[in-house]
Amino acid sequence: MGPRPGRRPGHTRQDRSSLVGHNRVVPYLLSGPSILMVTALLLFPVVYAVWGSLFDAEFIGGSPEFVGLGQYIELFQDPSFLWSAGRTLIFVTGVLIIGIPLGLVFAFALSRATGKLRFLRGITIVPYLISGIATAVIFRLILNRDFGEVNRVLGLFGIEELAWFSDPTLAMLASMLAQVWSDLPLVILLILGGLMTLDRDLLDAADVDGATGWKRAWRISIPLIMPQLALATILLSYQALTSLGVILALTGGGPVDATRTLPIALYEAAFIDLETNKALAIVVVILLFNALLTLVYWGISRRYELEAA
Amino acid sequence: MSITAPSAVAPERRPAGPRAAKISRWLRRIAIWVPLLGLAIWTIYPLLMTLSISFKTKADVSADPGLIPSDPTLDGYRSVLERQGFQDAFVNSMVVGLGTALLTVVLAVPAAYAFARFRFRGRHLLLLFTLLPRLIPGLGLMVPMYRIAVVLGAIDLLLTLIVAFTATVLPLAVWLFVGFFQQVPRELEEAANVDGSSLYARIRYIVLPLAFPAIITVGVLAFREAWNEFNLVLALTSSPGSRTLPYELFLMTQTTGFQDNPGQAAFAIMTIIPFIFVYLRLEKYVVSGLTSGALK
Repeated sequence: MGPRPGRRPGHTRQDRSSLVGHNRVVPYLLSGPSILMVTALLLFPVVYAVWGSLFDAEFIGGSPEFVGLGQYIELFQDPSFLWSAGRTLIFVTGVLIIGIPLGLVFAFALSRATGKLRFLRGITIVPYLISGIATAVIFRLILNRDFGEVNRVLGLFGIEELAWFSDPTLAMLASMLAQVWSDLPLVILLILGGLMTLDRDLLDAADVDGATGWKRAWRISIPLIMPQLALATILLSYQALTSLGVILALTGGGPVDATRTLPIALYEAAFIDLETNKALAIVVVILLFNALLTLVYWGISRRYELEAA
Repeated sequence: MSITAPSAVAPERRPAGPRAAKISRWLRRIAIWVPLLGLAIWTIYPLLMTLSISFKTKADVSADPGLIPSDPTLDGYRSVLERQGFQDAFVNSMVVGLGTALLTVVLAVPAAYAFARFRFRGRHLLLLFTLLPRLIPGLGLMVPMYRIAVVLGAIDLLLTLIVAFTATVLPLAVWLFVGFFQQVPRELEEAANVDGSSLYARIRYIVLPLAFPAIITVGVLAFREAWNEFNLVLALTSSPGSRTLPYELFLMTQTTGFQDNPGQAAFAIMTIIPFIFVYLRLEKYVVSGLTSGALK
């Protein structure tokens, strides 16, 4: 006999346990298809990737042989892989340096936007609805050397015709900006959510004590929304770490490999050089970084009980 | 009293000299208005510029850089519509988007119901479901899924895309539904249970109607994933007739380079427009769903 957690005593025509409690078949029938699908299409490919990364083919199209960790050893001695790893680190760091302060400022402003200005909250999410490729196209246009709006504005300050896509540093910056634009809605809404839970009375008390503006934000609000800020940081790192479309369509990894991050290296190994096993090893490396971020993310949200909904 | 501007500031509490108070009130207003203006420009201006360029002639893009095209034309849109592949991609995107939304809801509702209402051995999998989308991004799936699809002969099938996208959205969808079902009062169902209605009838006539907002939310979420996904389309399609819009747009940027700017702008706008409509009609569902989902 399973436990009988029915809260209501009395007779029912049907077995009460069909609503709550143990049931032998029904829950499996209901959840089975989803569990099966997730197992077959999310978990199995990962297992496949790990397994496949242990093999290597002599030449393209050759039959792969078991090489153990050979693929990884080769990878970490490969200058072009290490270069991509370095570029990824720069890219992710840059996205965070631009994205977090910007998200923080916008979220603070939005939290004070009342009345008619509330419509701005609705608009905030728009970039999130737009695909990475379309985002890249938009940034190719506004960062265009000749007619791009950004250069026209910079021109007013005497900065002439920046070549965003042929200068390595600027191309990296352009990729970061496009990535931040695309993901900032998540950051803003996450931080805004934190700000909205702050205790009004506490802030008013701080007001009375004379702590206004920046001081209040630094000393009181920001420490209180640290959990959300930490989650936003990790979320943004995730998105940047696994960003392929934005960079591929914006710079294609160039110029001279300046924006050749790990996802681009993965794309090239898999679909240009057709080195599948090497690509799978890169996949596993990216998944490991990702798992690390997930652990931290999970830890933070558990610790502060931030499971939303 | 000078309360002409809409008060975006919390009421002033601190007693101070009238002039000092006035100055500090203005400073505060500026501290809010400037970032808000920045946010509006940051979010909307790139889109407005793109919209503007989409209505210009190729020559006017650099010759007439203003926001309002002096000589508006539909050439950009024409060049996209005439592109071989655009129409296919548009239809494919619609089919895959709607298919993914439908399949996701059909699979996720029963699963979430089981997780929310039953105690069974698989229940601990729910936790795994909440972590999976984070652990396994689409980027990690593209190469293995490509290899598997090749082996199965499933490359270039729209069904493959629908199934693959559904799998990637499913954990999130189940998780959203579970949260929702847990809020549906058990008493409602127990009352129906007393009346002798079957499990199917309870789900069909009590849970589903109540879950309507959640279904819309999940549907839009799944549609967005499918509509915008690039990595898996890149991996799972190889022939022109089977691609969806983001991949087709990517190919256009690769083939036309910087030559057809109005065309690329028009293409980007056309991939965004359907979403803006959905968004305007269903804003509250979309915002709550996307944020709760993405921020989980």
